[in-house]
Amino acid sequence: MNVDTTLGGMTELLKPWTLMSRAVSDTRLEVETTPSGIVPAVGALKGAQWGFLSAITGLDHGAAAKADTGIAVKAMGDAAQNGGFEVLYHFCRGPSVLTFRVKLPREAPAVPTLSAVVPSALIYEKELAETFGVTIEGIPDRRRQFLSDDWPTNLYPMRKDFSPGSAEGIAQAAPVAPPVERRGTPGTFIVPIGPQHPALKEPGHFELTVDGEIVTHASIRLGYVHRGIEKGAEDRSWIHNIYLMERICGICSHIHSTAYVLGVEKLAGTAVPPRAQAIRTIFAEMERIHSHLLWLGVAAHEAGFDTLFMYSWRDRETIMDLLEEISGNRVNYSVNLLGGVKYDIDGKGADSLRRGLDFLEKRTRHYLQIVTSDESFLRRTRGVGAITFEQANLLGTVGPTARASGVSRDLRVEAPYMAYPDFPVKTVLDTRCDLEARFVVRINELFESYRLIHAMLAQLPPGDLAAALPRRVPEGEVISRVEAPRGELFYFIKSTGGVKPDRVKVRTPSLCNWAAVLSVAVGHKLADIPMIMVGIDPCFSCNDRSITVRRRGTEELWTWEELRRYGISYYGGEA
Amino acid sequence: MNVVLAIVAMLIFPGGLFVIVGSLAYEYVDRKLVARFQNRVGPRWFQPLADLVKLLVKEEIVPAGVNRGLFIWLPVAALAAAFTAALYIPMAGLAPTWGYRGDLVVTVYLLMMMTLCIGLAGANTADRFSLVGSTRALTQLFSYEAPFLLALLGPAIAAGTWRISEVNGYARESMWMIVTQPLGFLVALIGLMGKLELPPFDAPEAETEIVSGALTEYSGRGLAFFRLGRDVELLVGLTLISAFYLGGLANPLQFLLKTIGLLFITAALQSLFARLRIDQTVGLWWRAGAVLALVQLLILIGLKALGVHL
Repeated sequence: MNVDTTLGGMTELLKPWTLMSRAVSDTRLEVETTPSGIVPAVGALKGAQWGFLSAITGLDHGAAAKADTGIAVKAMGDAAQNGGFEVLYHFCRGPSVLTFRVKLPREAPAVPTLSAVVPSALIYEKELAETFGVTIEGIPDRRRQFLSDDWPTNLYPMRKDFSPGSAEGIAQAAPVAPPVERRGTPGTFIVPIGPQHPALKEPGHFELTVDGEIVTHASIRLGYVHRGIEKGAEDRSWIHNIYLMERICGICSHIHSTAYVLGVEKLAGTAVPPRAQAIRTIFAEMERIHSHLLWLGVAAHEAGFDTLFMYSWRDRETIMDLLEEISGNRVNYSVNLLGGVKYDIDGKGADSLRRGLDFLEKRTRHYLQIVTSDESFLRRTRGVGAITFEQANLLGTVGPTARASGVSRDLRVEAPYMAYPDFPVKTVLDTRCDLEARFVVRINELFESYRLIHAMLAQLPPGDLAAALPRRVPEGEVISRVEAPRGELFYFIKSTGGVKPDRVKVRTPSLCNWAAVLSVAVGHKLADIPMIMVGIDPCFSCNDRSITVRRRGTEELWTWEELRRYGISYYGGEA
Repeated sequence: MNVVLAIVAMLIFPGGLFVIVGSLAYEYVDRKLVARFQNRVGPRWFQPLADLVKLLVKEEIVPAGVNRGLFIWLPVAALAAAFTAALYIPMAGLAPTWGYRGDLVVTVYLLMMMTLCIGLAGANTADRFSLVGSTRALTQLFSYEAPFLLALLGPAIAAGTWRISEVNGYARESMWMIVTQPLGFLVALIGLMGKLELPPFDAPEAETEIVSGALTEYSGRGLAFFRLGRDVELLVGLTLISAFYLGGLANPLQFLLKTIGLLFITAALQSLFARLRIDQTVGLWWRAGAVLALVQLLILIGLKALGVHL
C-alpha cells in the first residue's frame, strides 16, 4: 500500500470519519470523530501503519464553567457547553501526534472498544471506564484494572463533580462492585504473583494459569498504590504540581517533573535559558544511569544471579552520591522550576561527576561482558521472552523494550527536546528481541549517557538558570512527551487560564509495555516469568495514580487483634 | 559401648549439641563467604544461632487444609535423619560413633530423607507455591541422587569396603582420591550443592518465582528444624566428601582445614552462577552428572579388574 504517512496525508485518509480536523502545529493534528467512527478510523490508521496508540485521555467539560478562576471556557465546542465528556485518543509516530477527539453526552457516555484493532488499548480503556464512567462497549474482560474492588460502582473519581472531600457520604451509600470469581480450568491451576510477592518490589497482581511449569494464561491487575495524583493535580497550583509530579515515581522522579514543566512552559510560551535546559538534560541522563543500573540488579536477582545484583547496586551508589552532591537529594532531586532549574553545576561538581562516570564506565564494560558471555546467565536470557518486531510495533511498546526488538522509538532522537538538539543521541538498537537484547540495549544506553554527560559538561552553555513564568498559565492544551528511562512518557496538560491546571493526564511507559509482556508470557516456563516481567522494567507506582475510599465510621487505627478478626471474618472463617 | 556413653554420643558429642553448634558455625562461614564474594558485609558470627532461636520462639502456624500430624512431624523426621547420619561419619576427624558393613548406604539414604521430607511437606499443604516447590524438589532429587550415590561409591569400590570408617582409613593411606578420581569428586561436590538446594540449584525455593517453595507455609519450630537439618546435612556432606576424596580425616585440625576448604569452593560456586531452571538442572544432571559418575565408575572397575592398586 502506498500511503502518504505524513500528518497531512492522514487528513485525507481519515476524511470519511472526520467531523472536523485541525492542525494544531506542524507535529499535531486533531481529528474530531464520532463514537461509531473511531474504530474504522483507527483501523485505517493501522492499515497505513501510522504510529501507535500512546494514550487515551478523558476530559470532563461538565464543571469547566465553575473553574476557580471564573473564566468561561471558550472554543471548546458543543461538549463544553452542554457539559459532556470528551475522549482523546493520542496516536504517536516519531515527533508527530495525531489525536482523535470524540465528544460524548453527559448521560450514558459510551465508546466502542479499540481492543479488537489495537490490543494494547484495553488497559487505557479500563482506566477511562473506571475513572470517568465512560462505558466501553464490547470490552472482553470487565474486571477492574485500577480502582480497588470496594470502590463504589457509580462513583467516578476523575469527573469534575467528584471531589475527594465530598466522597465519604457518597461512598457510604453507593453499592460496591461484586468481586469477580476467578477459577482455572480443571488440570491447571493459577499461581498468583502479588500483590505481595518476593519477585515484586512494588505491589501488582498477576494471575498465571499454569499447566505443570508452562504458563497458559496471564493477566494483570494494577492499582494497589493508587494515590490520586491526576485528580490531586487539578486541585494544586501550577507550582505545587511540579513537586506532586516528581513524586509519581521513586526512580524516574526528575523526568516526570521535566515532562510537566516542559508542557507548562510550552503553554506559557516561555523561553527557558539554554544553561537550564542543559542542566535538566544532565540530570535526566544521570537518572537514566541510576535507573538502568538499578534495573540491571533487579533483573539479575530475578534470574537468581545475586552476585551481579549486589555489584551493580554497589556501583549504583556512585551515581546516587553524585546526584546528592549536586542537588542535595538522592531520589527526588527537585531540580526543575517552571522556567528553569534550581541548581547549577559548578567546576567542582563537574569534576566529581566526571570521575564518577569514568569509574562507572569501567564497571559497565565489565557488566556488558558478563551479560553477553556468562554461560549460566545466558541460559536464562538468550532466546527467552522474545517480543518480535511486529509485536513490539503493534502493541505499542516503548523505550528500551521496543529498542531491543528493533523498533526505533527514542524521543531524544525523533523529537529532540531540552539540550538534545545540541547534543544528539545515538539510538541504541538491537534486533535479537529477547531478554539478552534488553540487557544489552540498556547497558549500551549507559555508555551513551556517559558520553552525553561528558559532552554537556564540556560545553555547558553560560547564562541564567531560570526565566520568569506568569502565575496564571494561558488557556490551552499541550502534549509533552519525553524519553524516560523506561520509554516514552506522555503528558497531556490542559489549562483554562487559571492558577491550577484543568487536567493533567499522565501515561507512563510501563503501561505501554504490559500488553506485550502478557502476550509473550504465555507458553513460557513459570521460572522465566519473573525475568520477562522485569525485562520491561515495570514501575508500578507510575502505573497507579488514582484514589482510595475512606468510609465514614471506619476506625483509622486498628489494633492487631481487630485486624486479625477482620482478616478471619473476611475469609469466611470463624472469628 | 555402655548406655551412658551411647547417650553422650547421641546428645553431646559427636551427635546432638556438637552437631548443632558445628552446623551453625558452618552456616555462618558459608553465609559470610558468599556475602564477601558478593561484596556485602555479611552476618555476624552469632546470626545463625539468633535466627534459630528466633524461629523457635515464634508462633508456629498450622495452615488450614493440611494433615496436621504430617505437618508437625515431617520437620522432626528430617532433622532426626540428619542427626543420625552425623553419627556414622568421622565427625571432627575422629572415628565414627557407630559403624557396620554397609553404613555408607544407610548414610546416603539418611541424607536423602531431608529432601523427601521437604517434598512431602510441600505436597501436604494447599499452597500453590509449596506445590510447585515440592514438585521441583522431588524432580531435582531424582536427578542428582543417583549420580551422587555413584560418586560416593567410587572411593568405596577403590577401598573395597562399604564401611565409612574403613574408606576413611583407606583414603588416609593412599593418594588423595580427588587426584585419582577427579570426575567423582566433581559430581559428589556439586551433588551436595544440589541436595542442599544451594544456588544455582535453588529452583525448588526460587524466591522470585515461588516465594519459599515447599516451605512457604512453614513458620516457627518447623521452619527452624528444616533449616537446622539442612545445616547438619551441609556439615555431614562436607565431612563425607573430605573423608573420601581429600585424603581422609585423621584429626580435628585436618577436619577443619579440609571441610572449610570445600566450603570455600561451594561458596564460590554459589556466587558465580545464575539460577538454573528446573528443566536445566535435570538436563545437566542426566546429561553430564550421571554420565561423568558412570564413566568414573567404569574406569575404576576396569582398573580394579586389571589389578591396578589405586
